[in-house]
Amino acid sequence: MSDEAVLGKGMRKEYGELVAVDDLDLRVQKGLLYGLIGPNGSGKTTTIKMLVGLLSFSRGEAFLLGEKVPVREKKKLIGYMPQEMATYTDITVHENLELFAQLYSMDEASFSRRERELLSMIDLADRKHSVVSQLSGGMKHRTSLACTLIHDPELLFLDEPTVGVDPELRVGFWKYFAELKSRGKTVMLTTHYMDEAVRCDVVGMMRSGRLIAEGPPKTLMQETGTNDLESAFLEFSRRDAI
Amino acid sequence: MKVQRVLAIARKNLRSLRHDRRTIAFIVMVPLLMISLFGYTFGGEVRDVSVYIVNMDQAPANQSIAASIIADLQSRNTLDVKQLFGPETATSASVALAREKVLDADIWAAIVFDENFTQTTLEALDALRGGSHVTPAVLQVLIDGTNPNIAEAVITEVQTSVQKVLVLPPNLLVPPIVMSPQLEYGEDARFIDFFAPGVMGLAAMMVTFMLSILSFVHERGASTLDRLLATPVTEGEIIAGYALAFGVVGLAQSVVILTAAVLLFDIQIAGSALLVLLLIFLLGVGNQGLGFLLSSVAKNEFQAVQLIPLILFPSILLAGVFWPLEAVPSFLQPVSYALPLTYAVEGCRSVMIRGWGPGDVMLQLVVLLAFAAVMLLLSTYGLKRRR
Repeated sequence: MSDEAVLGKGMRKEYGELVAVDDLDLRVQKGLLYGLIGPNGSGKTTTIKMLVGLLSFSRGEAFLLGEKVPVREKKKLIGYMPQEMATYTDITVHENLELFAQLYSMDEASFSRRERELLSMIDLADRKHSVVSQLSGGMKHRTSLACTLIHDPELLFLDEPTVGVDPELRVGFWKYFAELKSRGKTVMLTTHYMDEAVRCDVVGMMRSGRLIAEGPPKTLMQETGTNDLESAFLEFSRRDAI
Repeated sequence: MKVQRVLAIARKNLRSLRHDRRTIAFIVMVPLLMISLFGYTFGGEVRDVSVYIVNMDQAPANQSIAASIIADLQSRNTLDVKQLFGPETATSASVALAREKVLDADIWAAIVFDENFTQTTLEALDALRGGSHVTPAVLQVLIDGTNPNIAEAVITEVQTSVQKVLVLPPNLLVPPIVMSPQLEYGEDARFIDFFAPGVMGLAAMMVTFMLSILSFVHERGASTLDRLLATPVTEGEIIAGYALAFGVVGLAQSVVILTAAVLLFDIQIAGSALLVLLLIFLLGVGNQGLGFLLSSVAKNEFQAVQLIPLILFPSILLAGVFWPLEAVPSFLQPVSYALPLTYAVEGCRSVMIRGWGPGDVMLQLVVLLAFAAVMLLLSTYGLKRRR
């Protein structure tokens, strides 16, 4: 068994003339918190969507937990949280969780246990029966995360999980991500808030559909002689442009 | 109120439209479609109603009043005489055959002239002139009364011909020829009995189509569809789940309409209500698929809403909901026969008024089943196709 959770080889996505992802090679070790960072339009979301099987490849291939994308066998082990809140707002938190649990064929007992666990983790136990549209923005975000985690996946793809999230909740979210990692899960997330990506084990910097730098945040900052990832990114961009 | 600010708001809205070519196309096309469809179908009169004529009148051909009436009927296009049995061939077996055809709904009516038609008519005319007792000739018309519009058109047409041939003054107290219409179906059918099945089909179609197109546009916009597709659920399962839910919604609505129609208007359900609901369910499932397919054309809810009349108006006007298909202009009739609603309405009407069973509405069942199956398959394929 390979120790890579995600392995992308020459991943490419073209929309006519536009190249959204440009021959990208990716390698994410199991059990790591990997951050794909870069400005809007750099190809982060497209990359994630290709990996979870929502977009076709123009060229190249990728493997998740050893299975070629689009995965079938390993689908149960994967969790995906889209960029938007992506919950059914006209039903309750519980009903949303139950839907996804059933799609993952969870049995009643493990669903109830897992739901209790998750709702207490995201602090929504008392809003279990609230219709999602009546919740605050932060609560909706937490519901969305809970839907992704309901089946206790091994490998998580979180697309811009902290966009539109207030600072307090953002701290909470990073705490959840660290907790997931401590339980041996692999988390691959995207963000354009570069400062918060220091909390990742490994960061991949994307620009124009390509990785321009990759490594632990500290190393990347050292290499560029900068104190924060944003400055490091700008320096790598400058070098890339030459 | 400041004009400048009003203009700023108006300008913003028009500018948004400028970038949405599809909406501009809709703004032009939908009213064009509406005015042409309404114009052609409202102005349309019932035409080409298929009938059999059984002429047993034994009078010599050049004196036969029956022959003159038939010639007059054939000179206009309200009736389409599918078969004419002349005096040489017409027997009571021909009458039985014609009646059979009416019962099978192959033709709308059979017009029967008896052996002594001309003679009785002439005697009645003489008696009329002489002021003595008049025994009128009887013109028998067997009609499928399922559609009151058509039944009325047939009777009016025959009356017009009689009037013309005999050159009768109007409002005669005792006419020399009386019509004896015999309704084979829908004896007590009123207009409500005719259009209740139509309204039911139309309502089920509308609700399933609109729910589907709006739900899927929303699912795509809110990325919940992406989320679903990332789980082990298959595309076929998503479509089947939707079809089941919206089919049931269409069904529930039909139960409400049916119950209300029975309780409030005492409409006829001569056949099985379950068969009616099955027809409606199939229609609902198919329209859910159609809604899904069109949701991929619409980029947002705004565009989706504009697609609705595009599907709705042809259905209201051309599927025989309020007007019989015989009133649809012939160049639009192929569209009528391509609309699944036409089959659902015809099927429900046959079950409710004619009291037909599954074997009799097999064509409608098969067409609706095929519609549902094709729509589900195309939707599943559409969902499988990754961008």
